[in-house]
Amino acid sequence: MAIETRKQFEKAVKAAVDKQKKHKAEILVCCGTGCLANGSAKVAEAFAEQIEKQGMDASVGLFSKKTGCHGFCQQGPLVSIQPRGVLYNKVKPEHVPEILEKTVANGEVIQKLLYKNPADRKRVEQYNEIPFYKNQTRVAMRNIGQVDPTDIEDALARGAYAGLAKALFEMKPDQVVDEVAASGLRGRGGAGFATARKWKAARKAEGDRKFVLCNGDEGDPGAFKDRSIMEGDPHSVLEGMVIGAYAVGAHEGFIYVRDEYPLAVVNLTIAIDQARKSGFLGKNILGTGFDFDVRISRGGGAFVCGESSALMRSLEGKTGEPRQKYIHATDRGLFDCPTVLNNVETWADVGTILDRGSKWFASMGTDKSKGTKAFSLVGKVKNTGLIELPMGTTLRHIIYDIGGGILKDRPFKAVQTGGPSGGCVPESLLDLPVDYEKLTEAGSMMGSGGMIVMDDRTCMVDVARYFLSFLVEESCGKCVPCREGLKQMLAIFDDLVAGRGKPGDVERIERLAEGMRLGSLCELGKSAPNPVTSTLRYFRDEYVAHIEHKACPAGTCRDLTAFEILEEACNGCHACAKACPVDAIAGEKKKLHVIDHETCISCGACFDVCPTDAVRFFPKVEITQEVV
Amino acid sequence: MTSNQPCVDTAPVEEILGRYPREEASLIQVLQDVHRAYNYLPCDVLNKVADALEVPLAKVFSVSTFYKAFSLTPQGKTIVKVCTGTACHIRGAGQLIEEIGRQLSIGPGETTEDLGFTLKTVNCVGACAMAPVLIVDEKYHGNAASSDVPKYLGKGGARHGH
Amino acid sequence: MPALTINGKTVHVREGAYLLEAIRKAGFSIPTLCNHEALEPWGGCRLCLVDVTRREWDGWKKMVVSCMFPVEDGLVVDTHSERVVSTRKVVLDLLLARCPEAPVIQELARAHGIEQTSYKPNPEPTDCILCGLCTRVCDHIGVSAISSVDRGIGREIAPPFHKAPPDCIGCLACAEVCPTDCIPYKTSDSARTIWDKKFEMVRCPACGRAHITEEQSAYYADRNGVPASYFETCDACKRKEQAATFAGLSLAR
Repeated sequence: MAIETRKQFEKAVKAAVDKQKKHKAEILVCCGTGCLANGSAKVAEAFAEQIEKQGMDASVGLFSKKTGCHGFCQQGPLVSIQPRGVLYNKVKPEHVPEILEKTVANGEVIQKLLYKNPADRKRVEQYNEIPFYKNQTRVAMRNIGQVDPTDIEDALARGAYAGLAKALFEMKPDQVVDEVAASGLRGRGGAGFATARKWKAARKAEGDRKFVLCNGDEGDPGAFKDRSIMEGDPHSVLEGMVIGAYAVGAHEGFIYVRDEYPLAVVNLTIAIDQARKSGFLGKNILGTGFDFDVRISRGGGAFVCGESSALMRSLEGKTGEPRQKYIHATDRGLFDCPTVLNNVETWADVGTILDRGSKWFASMGTDKSKGTKAFSLVGKVKNTGLIELPMGTTLRHIIYDIGGGILKDRPFKAVQTGGPSGGCVPESLLDLPVDYEKLTEAGSMMGSGGMIVMDDRTCMVDVARYFLSFLVEESCGKCVPCREGLKQMLAIFDDLVAGRGKPGDVERIERLAEGMRLGSLCELGKSAPNPVTSTLRYFRDEYVAHIEHKACPAGTCRDLTAFEILEEACNGCHACAKACPVDAIAGEKKKLHVIDHETCISCGACFDVCPTDAVRFFPKVEITQEVV
Repeated sequence: MTSNQPCVDTAPVEEILGRYPREEASLIQVLQDVHRAYNYLPCDVLNKVADALEVPLAKVFSVSTFYKAFSLTPQGKTIVKVCTGTACHIRGAGQLIEEIGRQLSIGPGETTEDLGFTLKTVNCVGACAMAPVLIVDEKYHGNAASSDVPKYLGKGGARHGH
Repeated sequence: MPALTINGKTVHVREGAYLLEAIRKAGFSIPTLCNHEALEPWGGCRLCLVDVTRREWDGWKKMVVSCMFPVEDGLVVDTHSERVVSTRKVVLDLLLARCPEAPVIQELARAHGIEQTSYKPNPEPTDCILCGLCTRVCDHIGVSAISSVDRGIGREIAPPFHKAPPDCIGCLACAEVCPTDCIPYKTSDSARTIWDKKFEMVRCPACGRAHITEEQSAYYADRNGVPASYFETCDACKRKEQAATFAGLSLAR
């Protein structure tokens, strides 16, 4: 039934909260894409089956639900038991009967399913005692992992639409804009533009038809916060958009979702339908006379469509070519109408800012970067997953205290932030407080919040080459500096990693980088040189090694690297031979193994698996020198 | 309009067109649905879509080739996608692609001769904590190991409805 | 009328003009490739980049493409600042690598001190600089027979499915507007071929010259609601006819 008054809203919320109280125990099974990839759907099914079979539901007040991404993907499938507060890791369907019997019925904890803290090797029982969660401040991700994204009542019980109710029942549009301004909220998609400023401009703009858009085209490889929010708490996005529409005077909206996020499309569709039925979307929202509705538009597979003007062209059914933005989208954007485009996380923040107040939000973060930020911590770090922290947290805290340090305890080399528009931050800057300004000063940027941790087995020249090869496919091709520049830059890097670097290459790279930075039409091309310039800034020695010595210090550039097994360290365990994909290693058990250089493809699998560090790598040129 | 594509039954297209307003802005959504129905974009259908939405054929073709979600040639019954996002890249996506290539004798973007499999590299799918990620017929496999490739390929083979 | 300072010289230009017009009015020249007076500016070649600032910006400046930047009163423009010139050079250097055999590009590059490209020359040289003028003029005429296909380094101009474009009327506007003359066509009294499409020519009933295609005639007629026969008479003969009509009028008092 559509809610039409303040009283009805409060009644609906109370009903939802009461319904939850009836559950003596709740079993939350993470069904975000990460855990699904590890088989959590079967776990959820097993719980549902067992509960029904044992007739446990009504009497015990048991309730199992599928939630969105908890963020701790490394340890999935994740199952959380509330109100006990226990988090079980790597749960399989065969564990389900035991969990129901021991934990749910008797409050007993199953040790082997608990998270084991690698720092002190102790099992951690409580969800909020696990360092990964303890150190987080979840604002945009406040409900993810706790709420069933396909159940609006569950969302209501956890505070969904409270901000909207406040805005529509108690505030005028101008006051809403002022509140967002006071919070200091900046765009969470990467550019960090002051959200209220954008809204003010759209509010002032001429025109009866205005749009609010959600940029769900999260394209930065390594970032998945927007996916989690859209999948795990779609109502937070819808709430934010209605508030924004009310603030600027828009009645139509679109949520642009990347083609590669099918589950997000499904959950958003369900949420939109439920929101409409409850009166949070559509005509006469909450009985206030304000109309606003939203449609989902799927992307076609183009990173460049994360750029705002390209996204709008895509919504218009055209190719994703950005346009020169001398006239702002807030004046003439989608279909030439005033348009506000914000990122998923930005929208998710809006509702709670209205609900809890701008002062609360602004009390977190740094001087110029208020609030919290979601990060996806991935790569060579022990605890990979999604985290949210106040702005100003240091990289060291993120990588070591929350991330648990480097995988296999290898030496830390750099953390890449900001995706293809960002850069690599080295060890010397680990105490950098993370905010928009500091990251930009360091030669990188916040971007979408992706943080890719790299160890000594990552070649920084190859990292730059990787991002170039990504962008060269994604460039729309309209302007010369980006289209031709990326192609030529990649050609130089292909030569570098293959040992064909020449003196003068670094200067050529720097000149081309500057030309692309100044000459390109949009941010894709302008920021494309960033991975190159930042790795040149902090890891110039690797470039020198590749060019002058035809060597790769990380040992990963295959054309430059050869491997050999050291007699004194080899114990003949045969692990290397098993790992070798081309059978290039010969040896009998317990005897010295030998790599055949002719067959070896230098993939490094042997190096990675050897338990005694008996494999060493060296520049391939030394082989030919020996032969000579 | 000559084409060396097989003729397709364009009846389903009417139903798809009925789902959206008949205007240019619906083009990409229509193409998404068409691609799902036929497993590629047949040129007969593109002609029909151009007429129905009143968009010049050249623009429909431009959009069809710009966005990488679309294939203009028939794809294999099983689509194998290897994520090449940064996390997957540093955790061995390259090796996965090589191994699949060895097993199927095709490279990224190619389809086996019997139209059984298509191998694609895709941009980050957002499951970075499970890197490297392999998707076979829309089923996600996290922490994919090269040695398990035959198993993943055998697991697939689900037929696409036409 | 907005007043701008360009390279130290003050110039007034009409409201609503783009910066490029003001720069030329002030007597300065900067290279352009993707700009055409008959078409909306596009901003793709980047050659017309200039540095702009305002007194109140305290020395902060930004680079903009003058073909698309609207004039503002009080704008201060530098068309040849160091970074503008070096960026132009990079653009031309890149174009020379892509189109090493195109005379227009060779000349422009040479004029900027570039004899040879510092990058990898295109293993499959083309003269197409992807300025988009051909597709833009085709869209402007209302035909849209060709378009840009694919994206990034694979981007090219082509008809749908790389086959004879069904919508093309054979007007040759694309070939005529191309800065590097890289769209081939054949035209004679009997037939015309462009983009692998063959057209029958229409002969002027007055002088017998074959001047437009049947498709052009039909397209113009349809668009203007005027009989095709009007378009079948060639322009020269139309002028003769009109002159005769006027001469006739003055005689008939």
